[in-house]
Amino acid sequence: MNPTFVLRANERGHDVISSDGPTSSYVAGHPGAFITRESSFNFHQYQAGRPGFGPIRVFGDETFHGAGCGYNMHPHHNFVICAFVLEGELTHINTAGEGTVDRLRQGDYYVFSAGSGGKHCELSISPEDMNAIYLWVLPSQLYLPPSYHRGHFDLRTRRNQIIQLVGDADGALPFPQDLRVSRLVTDRKGAFAYAPRSAEHGLYLFVVDGTLTCGDATLGRRDSLGASGVKTLEFEAADATDVFIVETAIIDDDRVRAWEKEQAEAS
Amino acid sequence: MSEPLKRWICLGCGFSYDEALGLPEHGVAPGTRWADLPEDWVCPDCGTPKAQFEMVVIGYAPGGPQLAQTA
Ligand SMILES: [Zn+2]
Repeated sequence: MNPTFVLRANERGHDVISSDGPTSSYVAGHPGAFITRESSFNFHQYQAGRPGFGPIRVFGDETFHGAGCGYNMHPHHNFVICAFVLEGELTHINTAGEGTVDRLRQGDYYVFSAGSGGKHCELSISPEDMNAIYLWVLPSQLYLPPSYHRGHFDLRTRRNQIIQLVGDADGALPFPQDLRVSRLVTDRKGAFAYAPRSAEHGLYLFVVDGTLTCGDATLGRRDSLGASGVKTLEFEAADATDVFIVETAIIDDDRVRAWEKEQAEAS
Repeated sequence: MSEPLKRWICLGCGFSYDEALGLPEHGVAPGTRWADLPEDWVCPDCGTPKAQFEMVVIGYAPGGPQLAQTA
């Protein structure tokens, strides 16, 4: 089974957001700090990409550079926002519930459902770069009570198996949408299969590191693919491969179809 | 028959605009159509331009409309 689309690392949207100048109130850490953001889908200034995948609107690969870099306190509604920390340390201050000051390191992740309104601030305090994968998803209902959950993926003990981090599996963080995020980290070559709940569920696979082969497609570091209408997606992962697998309901998506048609006509 | 009233969501922050509710706190009367908001209207929470809102068909959680009216 071949993927429906392949998105190469260098085809993603690329933004550099400075803590100086017009974005200084938004980005913390002036002087010298800046955020780099690689977007798989349309986001902010980057509006040339695929409009999303099912209810997913943002899949961002972001790095905070420089001591004190991050996003100042800002509001959200409705979106369910996840961050999966790959490197460095993320200090996350969040108003949901009683409020939280959280510190997330490699393998840690959070799910923040902004619902009826919440604010958060995200900072990398040390001079070390902080790299995280961000996901923004439309919720199943508007104005849910805001919530914050955090989890940890143990990279050392949970190798060579697909582990669900977010969704309805035991131990996964709850998520107010028909969506599951899993992760696979290998230390040997292997063949894997992922069966979505139904043919109406799509899969988005993002290679953090390593090499993944699926049908005719070979993906390297930060390449990704989408597949929909599949019973089972089979793939091979090389030694030292790290992959996120997102499964979600592909709700009637006119925007994506219009975009795909435009792309086909332009080529 | 008139078009059903719609809901729009800001892709910058998730702020939602509901035609039925308007935004009385921001001077927009209930029943104001999306098309009737000025083209230079921006998200009251994050400044994202009107063009970067998306129409959504998503229902409210219990109590949501009351909270949305005063957003
Ligand atoms: Zn906004």
